[in-house]
Amino acid sequence: MDTPSPEQPPAAVADAATLCRELRALLPPGAVLSSPSELAPYECDGLSAYRQRPLAVVIPRCVEEVQAVLRLCSARGVPVVARGAGTGLSGGALPHAAGVLLVMARFDRILSVDPAACTARVQPGVRNLAISEAAAPHGLYYAPDPSSQIACSIGGNVAENAGGVHCLKYGLTVHNVLAAEILLMNGERLTLGGEGPDSPGYDLLALLCGSEGLLGVIVEVTVRLLARPPCARLLLATFDSPVRAGAAVASIIAAGIVPAGLEMMDGLAIRAAEAFAHAGYPTDAAALLLCELDGTEEECTGQLMRVESLLRAGGATELRVAADEAERLRLWSGRKSAFPAVGRLAPDYYCMDGSIPRSRLGDVLERIAVLSSEYGLPVANVFHAGDGNLHPLILYDAGKPGELQRTEELGEKILAFCVEVGGTITGEHGVGVEKLGAMCLQFGAAELERFHAVKEAFDPAGLLNPGKAVPTLARCAEGRRMHVHGGELPFPGIERF
Amino acid sequence: MHTTLADFIATTAAGEEASEILRKCVHCGFCNATCPTYRLLGDELDGPRGRIYQIKEMLEGAEPAASVLQHLDRCLGCRACETTCPSGVEYGKLLDTGRELAEQRVQRGRWSQLQRRVLRWMFPFPLRIAPWLRLAMRVRPLLPRVLAAHVPPVLTPPGAWPEARHARRMVALAGCVQSVATPATSAAAARVLDRSGISLVTAPAAGCCGALSHHLAAREEGLDFARRNIDAWIPLLEAGAEAVVASASGCGLHLRDYGRLLASDAAYAEKAARVSAAVRDLTEVVPLPAAGASPQRLRVAVHTPCTLQHGQHLGGRVEALLRATGCELLPVADAGTCCGSAGSYSLLQSELSSQLGDARARALQAGAPDVVVTANVGCQLQLAGRCTAPVRHWIEVLDEATRVL
Amino acid sequence: MGDADLGEQIRERIVEAHHWGRGLRIVAGGTRERPGRRVAGEELSLGAHRGILEWEPSELVLRARAGTPVLEIEAALATERQMLGFEPPRAAETATIGGAVATAQSGPRRPFAGAARDFVLGVGCIDGTGQRLGFGGRVIKNVAGYDISRLMCGAHGTLGVLLDVAIRLLPVPECEQSLVRECEPLQAMQIMNSLRSRPLPLSGAAWEAGLLRLRLEGAESAVSRAARELGGDAEADARWWQELRDQRLPFFRDARSLWRVALPPTAAPLALDAAELIDWCGAQRWLSGDVDATLVRARAAQLGGHATLCRGATDDPFHPLAPGMLALQQRLKRVFDPRRVLNPGRLYREL
Repeated sequence: MDTPSPEQPPAAVADAATLCRELRALLPPGAVLSSPSELAPYECDGLSAYRQRPLAVVIPRCVEEVQAVLRLCSARGVPVVARGAGTGLSGGALPHAAGVLLVMARFDRILSVDPAACTARVQPGVRNLAISEAAAPHGLYYAPDPSSQIACSIGGNVAENAGGVHCLKYGLTVHNVLAAEILLMNGERLTLGGEGPDSPGYDLLALLCGSEGLLGVIVEVTVRLLARPPCARLLLATFDSPVRAGAAVASIIAAGIVPAGLEMMDGLAIRAAEAFAHAGYPTDAAALLLCELDGTEEECTGQLMRVESLLRAGGATELRVAADEAERLRLWSGRKSAFPAVGRLAPDYYCMDGSIPRSRLGDVLERIAVLSSEYGLPVANVFHAGDGNLHPLILYDAGKPGELQRTEELGEKILAFCVEVGGTITGEHGVGVEKLGAMCLQFGAAELERFHAVKEAFDPAGLLNPGKAVPTLARCAEGRRMHVHGGELPFPGIERF
Repeated sequence: MHTTLADFIATTAAGEEASEILRKCVHCGFCNATCPTYRLLGDELDGPRGRIYQIKEMLEGAEPAASVLQHLDRCLGCRACETTCPSGVEYGKLLDTGRELAEQRVQRGRWSQLQRRVLRWMFPFPLRIAPWLRLAMRVRPLLPRVLAAHVPPVLTPPGAWPEARHARRMVALAGCVQSVATPATSAAAARVLDRSGISLVTAPAAGCCGALSHHLAAREEGLDFARRNIDAWIPLLEAGAEAVVASASGCGLHLRDYGRLLASDAAYAEKAARVSAAVRDLTEVVPLPAAGASPQRLRVAVHTPCTLQHGQHLGGRVEALLRATGCELLPVADAGTCCGSAGSYSLLQSELSSQLGDARARALQAGAPDVVVTANVGCQLQLAGRCTAPVRHWIEVLDEATRVL
Repeated sequence: MGDADLGEQIRERIVEAHHWGRGLRIVAGGTRERPGRRVAGEELSLGAHRGILEWEPSELVLRARAGTPVLEIEAALATERQMLGFEPPRAAETATIGGAVATAQSGPRRPFAGAARDFVLGVGCIDGTGQRLGFGGRVIKNVAGYDISRLMCGAHGTLGVLLDVAIRLLPVPECEQSLVRECEPLQAMQIMNSLRSRPLPLSGAAWEAGLLRLRLEGAESAVSRAARELGGDAEADARWWQELRDQRLPFFRDARSLWRVALPPTAAPLALDAAELIDWCGAQRWLSGDVDATLVRARAAQLGGHATLCRGATDDPFHPLAPGMLALQQRLKRVFDPRRVLNPGRLYREL
């Protein structure tokens, strides 16, 4: 199934052979791939429902090589899509049919760790977890920890403004990055941010975080490291309904407690995660909360007692505190592998990423349950309950005709409800190609126009990752999805597959 | 991942198995993080997710380019990816199918063919290896580094093999390379087991486990080795031997697969299953020694072979056994990573193998150990040439530590 | 003064200004004109556009009109033991939340809890064409579209007039303890450098006039234990921290010329001929005294930071931008304010 990539503006279709010859002249042997068998594995990132083979894949090793590629592509009018570890879940690194896929995986060196300033300077292809591993001897770590942290790269984290299970207390990528070196599409090198607390002029670093590779190619990142808290206690609580668990979450926050992580899984997800990780989850529970408290020994103990009594008052059916570090890590391992573990339940899953005000958690979960049974598609819920970021996973079988379309329709209804209750269509995975349609639910024409103009300020020719993250106005108008009220949407369904 | 198999394979057993495995893969990419070749090369094509994709393409009917064979050749088969995969994708099995398909569809270069034929001719047979090894040891200083790294500087004398005096017996896989290059291993195993009331015996007719041929896509040749071993061991098992013990984890892993590999061979299916069920790694049969036996509290760095930790899921056993003898276990970075030996890989992909071997040797020696131990002959040879500390099979260290008792 | 929505009047003023290409000088509480270049243009006042729009204590999120005084918001939050985590300075009672966000000013808690932009979740604004726009939202995690709300933070209104801002709140810590000890600046820097990598409940670390002060906040048990570990004398009166936050310490009051130098926190003392106050655990240094601008800027740049003249005669208070960076920022300005209506020239002559 070759999926026509959505909304890619017509680029001057370069003669592939000529382009590859020119690229080969710029790069060392083995750094340019162009045969069909070599391109196929690059046709998708972590979201394999969208696939598109690029004209060529390049895997440079140094900034000068990236600059050379960008300058050539600028001159030839060839689109460029940057890619890190290819673990993104919104198709942000989906190649462009007439473009070059710029793979940054070989930029995998940690350049320096400064234990006094608590910073690390790294190349963009360094894996998220590798930063914490390098910082560990100094008692430091890098706080944002997306579930894919073992594999995802920091460049991708910045481009997507990745979150994770601990961002309730420690923030998203944008809060933990101090500086980024980027290349504009014309090859110009700029430093955004710096090692100081701020920089003169506009905060372009904040703008870069979450810009999904549309503004510049990240070639170096300086991150902030934190002191590892001396104590972390993990509490597991089960509930007989997800709604009740949602209410318990709100009660913890209302009490002025900011847990390091507050995660929730429903019955389906619990069973899938347990089957993989053998984390010791009670598989008969309807909902499970993982609440991590960290800080000094005293802080943890005090908060633990308060949280326990709140959860008990909230109707927890079982409460368990991880006895030791091994059990704590085991309980987390189930949560961290929950997405792929759900892959065991059905041939395919569709992962949503809506974010809502915490107080509406119960309503939204109920609505998802109703929609799920309406569509006859099971939905497993795995999410960051503490910050209201939902990850409903719709289970389906792409092999069954029409099921993907129905899945998408269900997904869009869920997102529409998230927007309706004051939330957003994507909390951390990004828009990519996958949520282009849903963007029309959230933004009006004026905002979308400004987004396009911001891109133009960075990339006048529109060659960097074109067609992603921001839908064209025409698309939104065509779908008549702009300014939706009441959550009921017309679903003419623009052809996306 | 959604897969539509091509007609040529859709209805075969291999096809069904592959399809089942592919369904589980959600393309998350976690596997790349722990793949030694992906981490070296940074190319999706040289990581598990990309290899799965290339295999999937073949299964769906695409004509593979020569590059596919190259990228599959570069896979160590270490299966670290299986340990990492949260979806339970059995990459190793899919790789076997993929390699066989690629071998059929892509014409291998002459030189590559010749190399492989030589390896298959020599390594499974101790009598053919021995003279070459003796020669190589003599001219070791003159050999290029890539070759020299595989040649042990000296052979540790095996020492005495105890009489078969116990009623409890187990069959040792004498192996091929191990019996020549590290003869001390099996003898030490026999002595340790003897002290715990088990006699280790060998079957003279048995030989190479067949893994080498299997991984070089010479499936039938590999199966013949398996049949020969099965014929040699069944009588011993029937006479009451409790287990077939492998002291090389790579061979042990392959023995455990006999049942699956010969499932469609009517004459051997049942016997093969029986042998596979009786296979134990040495770590499983050596009892935990009484604490504090080690006379000089050795500082030990353990390299757990991939075939032990990712293949047989027996990581941590060696550490537990040595700790019980009073050894100090040093922490080793990236302990899940392959040393690059991977059977014939060290000879066929010498450049990658060297890089991995050097990296592993650095990590193992970071804590300045008295001795580096491992559980597989290939790893032992790969690391011996790169470490300044002696590299031994763990059973030798345990043998010496418990001998005083 | 009561709550009022002046959004439409403000929009009409901007539409008109855009039509005629006339500059507008944006003012709310009137406390944050410095640092900034002098803006030629009619005054556009947001002071009366005020009121808290949404605040659900269990959400720890507040949305308020830009002209709402910081003090009014803080008084309301205090009833539920919540607070603005970035401690925006309040030079006067009139200081507004919109001004705090537009100028990205943060107090002593900044290195430990985050800057103004770290707490901004969303903004409603009007750009230079008179178009009403909404970016971000009121949820903690939101990556839909570019993060324009954080771009607005620190843009001094030059990209859009803020109408309302949504801000993440923090619970007020259980208890607070200030420690003080005598030491020289170099020693103070050494202590600060050693603190950064330790898991302590710190919420302030500053040095002035021979005294290093540390502020601890959190659970009582944790604070008292940390206080024991750190040593120094307990300071009963926490007013010093409030005066530091509001820049009302004598150091600031008496300064005829005041520089703010933002540096990598481990950078050496500036060692310029001026009184120095070190805040933000080393990352923000204030200089009071007549120092040569070129010298300060050169020293700041050499140490990897930048310098802003907050008080004193100058045409260009902000650190100059490299040509490529300035060109990019000019292009961004054109996106939101093509006719240079909003605070023209306030940040840089070219913006």
